[in-house]
Amino acid sequence: MELAYLEEVRKLLHGRDYHVVGTDVKRVDAVEKVAGLAKYSADYLIEKAVHVKAARSPHAHALVKKVDRESALRVPGVVEVLTADDVPGENQIGYLVEDQPIITNKARYCGDIVALIVARKERAAWEGADRLQVEYEPLAEVFDPRESLQSSLRIHDHGNIAAEAKIRKGNVDEAFRRCEVIIERTYRTGSQDHAYLEPEAAVAIPTGARGVTVIGTNQNPFRTRHTVARVLGWKDSEVTITTPYIGGGFGGKDTYGPVICSLAALAAVKSGRPAMIVYTRYESFAYRFKRGPFEIKYKTGATQDGKLQAVDIEYLVDAGGYATWTVGFTKRAAYHATGVYSVDNVRVEGRAVYTNNLPNAAFNGFGNPQMLFAVESQMDIMAGALKMDPVEFRVKNALVPGSRTGTNQLLDHAVGIQELIQKVAVQADWQGKRKEYALAQEGNKRRGIGVGCSWHGCGTTGFKRDWAGASVIINPDGSVSYSTGIVEIGQGTTTSHAMMVAEVLGIPFEHVRVDVNNTGTMPDSGETHAQRGTIIGGTAAVDAALKLRKRMNRLASEMWECSEEEVAFEKGETYNLRNRSQRISFSELAYEMYMRGIPPAEYGFIKARRGYPDPETGQGDTYAAYTFGCTMAEVEVDLETGQVDVLRLVPGVAAGKIIQPAVARGQVIGCGMLGLGYALTERVQRRDGRMMNPSYTDYQIPTIKDKPEMADLVIVEDEFKYSGFGAKGVGEIAFIATPLAIANALDQALGIRFYDMPLDREKIYFAIKEKKGHGSRS
Amino acid sequence: MQIQFKLNGKIIQEETEPQETLLDFLREKLNLTSVKKGCDEGECGTCTVLLNGKPVRSCLLLSAQMRGTDEVTTIEGLARAGEMSEIQEAFLEKYGFQCGFCTPGMILTAKALLDENPRPTVQEIKDQLEGNLCRCTGYEQILESVQRAAELRAARR
Amino acid sequence: MEAEVRPLPKMEYRAPSSLGEALALLKDWQGQARLLAGGTDLIPKIKKRAVAADLLIDVNRISGLSGIELGKDGLQIGGLARLAEIEASPLVREKAPALTQALQIMACPPIRNRATIAGNLCTASPAADTAPPLLVLNASVRLQGSGGERMVPLAEFFLGPAETVKRPDEILTAVIIPLEEGRSGFLKLGRRKAFTLSIASAAAFAKTRGGRIEEVRVALGAVAPTPIRGRKVEETLKGKEANEANIAQAAEWIRSEVKPISDVRASAEYRRDMSYVLTRRVLGKVA
Repeated sequence: MELAYLEEVRKLLHGRDYHVVGTDVKRVDAVEKVAGLAKYSADYLIEKAVHVKAARSPHAHALVKKVDRESALRVPGVVEVLTADDVPGENQIGYLVEDQPIITNKARYCGDIVALIVARKERAAWEGADRLQVEYEPLAEVFDPRESLQSSLRIHDHGNIAAEAKIRKGNVDEAFRRCEVIIERTYRTGSQDHAYLEPEAAVAIPTGARGVTVIGTNQNPFRTRHTVARVLGWKDSEVTITTPYIGGGFGGKDTYGPVICSLAALAAVKSGRPAMIVYTRYESFAYRFKRGPFEIKYKTGATQDGKLQAVDIEYLVDAGGYATWTVGFTKRAAYHATGVYSVDNVRVEGRAVYTNNLPNAAFNGFGNPQMLFAVESQMDIMAGALKMDPVEFRVKNALVPGSRTGTNQLLDHAVGIQELIQKVAVQADWQGKRKEYALAQEGNKRRGIGVGCSWHGCGTTGFKRDWAGASVIINPDGSVSYSTGIVEIGQGTTTSHAMMVAEVLGIPFEHVRVDVNNTGTMPDSGETHAQRGTIIGGTAAVDAALKLRKRMNRLASEMWECSEEEVAFEKGETYNLRNRSQRISFSELAYEMYMRGIPPAEYGFIKARRGYPDPETGQGDTYAAYTFGCTMAEVEVDLETGQVDVLRLVPGVAAGKIIQPAVARGQVIGCGMLGLGYALTERVQRRDGRMMNPSYTDYQIPTIKDKPEMADLVIVEDEFKYSGFGAKGVGEIAFIATPLAIANALDQALGIRFYDMPLDREKIYFAIKEKKGHGSRS
Repeated sequence: MQIQFKLNGKIIQEETEPQETLLDFLREKLNLTSVKKGCDEGECGTCTVLLNGKPVRSCLLLSAQMRGTDEVTTIEGLARAGEMSEIQEAFLEKYGFQCGFCTPGMILTAKALLDENPRPTVQEIKDQLEGNLCRCTGYEQILESVQRAAELRAARR
Repeated sequence: MEAEVRPLPKMEYRAPSSLGEALALLKDWQGQARLLAGGTDLIPKIKKRAVAADLLIDVNRISGLSGIELGKDGLQIGGLARLAEIEASPLVREKAPALTQALQIMACPPIRNRATIAGNLCTASPAADTAPPLLVLNASVRLQGSGGERMVPLAEFFLGPAETVKRPDEILTAVIIPLEEGRSGFLKLGRRKAFTLSIASAAAFAKTRGGRIEEVRVALGAVAPTPIRGRKVEETLKGKEANEANIAQAAEWIRSEVKPISDVRASAEYRRDMSYVLTRRVLGKVA
């Protein structure tokens, strides 16, 4: 990604208008999806497949003393019972910390898998799991992270800290001494379930003497492949992951993909038969990993002129029984802990602690929804103390080109946040509404308007480098076969890739075909998460296409005896800019490449333009680029019931160049609803490590009637010059900002600030009641 | 036991058992995997099919309940002679899908509305689709797709 | 904690074409059989093993039990009438508006297309949305068994959660709503705006003349082991002038009449407070 790809592309296209990028095309998956032909993992119904059911620990912390296989094998139709001892390779699937077996001898959360039942029919698998006798030695349990910190109880031998994150920039203590306004508060954020409509599923098919193909729900085929290979004791090359359509991911299938695929693969290889595992909705709710809870102590200081001087943050994350992706989002939260503002003095201490709760997964926002709830609440409180308008205060402190982040990363361009806030404020009529709702309101309803600003670094957080590959093959007839390891989870990214390839090659979009995602025949593009699918995955596509263009330019220049720079590709034709009578169709030129033995295929490969932050100070270039978001929310509260009605959402994003406007709009609106759900209707209700509401009946995601009025999307195209067409990412940013805006709007409406997310209805109601001094009945 | 009913315009005859839901029957016996199992208890809408033109949850029906006079429609039954129906075209045009998992149920439920009410208001569309959950789109483009479908149908009349 | 949804267990299935046949089967199977009407409550319950049945008696092929018409005793709704049909009925909207309002915000169209009024009443969830409207409208239900038939006022029908006076060998064949001059209405509080179980619900009926409340009835759902009438509220309000102050004062009594529980959906305290709010608001709609 060292190349300024945007400039390269512009030069190559001679500054012409784009014909494909920036328009709305028919997505590559569109027809299949509306025709009902799209196949998801559980739709691969292989007739002789065996069915796999997980047997799970009912204890949140216990040793597995004995698994009585016979008790399940006796059930007619059960063919295998697999325990930890039966894992042929390494019993290890940890992501960044090697603390997690695929089948365990020690249960560390309620639902931890202690055996796999493999049976010829689904009902037999159920019965086998019911009848399996397992002897446990229950251990003391801990569900509170603070308690776990102090406890001598060991969930893992290596101690109770699962992850740490530190930021040290400037001199925080000295800076606070200068501050005239200092606010310190504690915030808590709760879990959230992805609740995607497609439950986890995988089908594994043994191939040959040593090989297995797994069709399963995942967001990272190559990591999944490596995990499967590891548990089987095989090489990566001996495992193939084919990723079909995914019915929603949001990060959940990023974390859980390797798990579900490994379970299927184990059963297939051990039984020698195709093996299918499909989670029930109950399993998906009760046992699949979710958003991690945070407790954040946040201290902000500013001088009277409204300039932020310092932030001092301490936070604790409940990691649950295994570290999984918690390490990543514990760090991401730290890197983003200043919010979209320029702060010279930063101290952050973050820790994730093991408990016997469910482990965490990646989930849209990945630490940012939690941390930015604290940030954006603080900003409102600070604005109030400084007697400044909340938007004015934010604009005054916003990052601008030339700013340095809390990790001291220089942002020299693609920093559209200040402009974005101002534009959203106009779209939302912020000034008018803020003033209107500040006036005394009568009756049983109260209205308010609030703002939430977000940012999200594009690219994988963590220790490893972030890379992406892509492959472009020009066929003899001029059609193009494109393949990428980025997965289609609904976000339409592979279409964006095909569009960018088509634009660079100057051919109609319909001539580029995106191949089925199969690790055996395509390059590793890294994970489909962290808003990296287009900015990093897509830049690899452009990298490949550019290389091919250069080769084709040279061929044309030889044919026409002109300079390579004068060759143009547009609408399926290639021509000499100086002499337009010299032209050839793209397909003819393609064939000519073959005739002349010029390689018609190219592999793109880039690593993300990102550094390796210092573990003690967190200083470094943590992400290639940052997408910015700003949402304003208007709410109306029913004082007598605590019901919050979101009247209007006004979202805006600064995500660089927008490749597919209608798709970006869909992402932003969908994210807005996800945020509304997190704030107002969804609650993961836990007791003693168990989810008490594992169904759609009681885990309430928004319906079509919960959708507020959505204003036209505000877009600032702050192009990022190191990505293919200047795009950044747009998949998470609008989610993060929404709950923050709603909480701030509630504060204006009620004069009550809530320090917990989700904004629990009863909490709101009882807070109103207390404020009113509402006694009981006469 | 044998059952016989009309499915997407054709009479079918198959073996079933009392405890087989219509959902499992359609998916496993007839390989109509467009009908999805999102929750298996009627709470999500991904299993929705049309029974005699009305949207119902196939996970809450037994295949044994189907009679010779019953007609079941799945999304495969919408396209005629290789051409998509207006409602499918509208969902394509207006981006009424993202991951696509809720899409078959959503389109069928919307079709039932348009069959009965060719120019529904926004409120009427919401009333009809309130039981079809979508996690990806935030519903706005789904609403727009149904409105577009109404326009396309009116234009073709 | 909720139980997991599993594949249905092996069961037998019969689809009688007459009421007599159905009743005979019920009698023969001695409580081991269950009536399959809409199935929208029964099927999930069997999947979760909350209910067991050796035989499912599919009553959907019995004709003559789903009509909606005016009879000598009032509005007569067949037990097997689908909630969607009842909701769409202009007759019901005119004579029993509270019931129409409840149905409009109950579950969702695909569920209402199959669910029946008999099923909703006999499942006897304390949160059943059809119950408060029918209670304030003084509805009765007809229960038919192989031994004969009987009419039971709905106010005497519910015994507890999932418990009614209906015997295992009976079928609920009709709901009768006497015609009465006055207004009725319904309000519901849920956790989101649609397709959600009631945390609390309230229906009211009132007849006012010259600004004075001649007759008033109020009923609440989801705040007691059964749907209940707020009799103290009614006593207090009857005969009084229909104004905000009188309604508010009377509504206060509901706090001592409800017996709410705390569950995953709401706390008892919140339900109690909401009982007051909904009672006051629904009375304001009709008085």
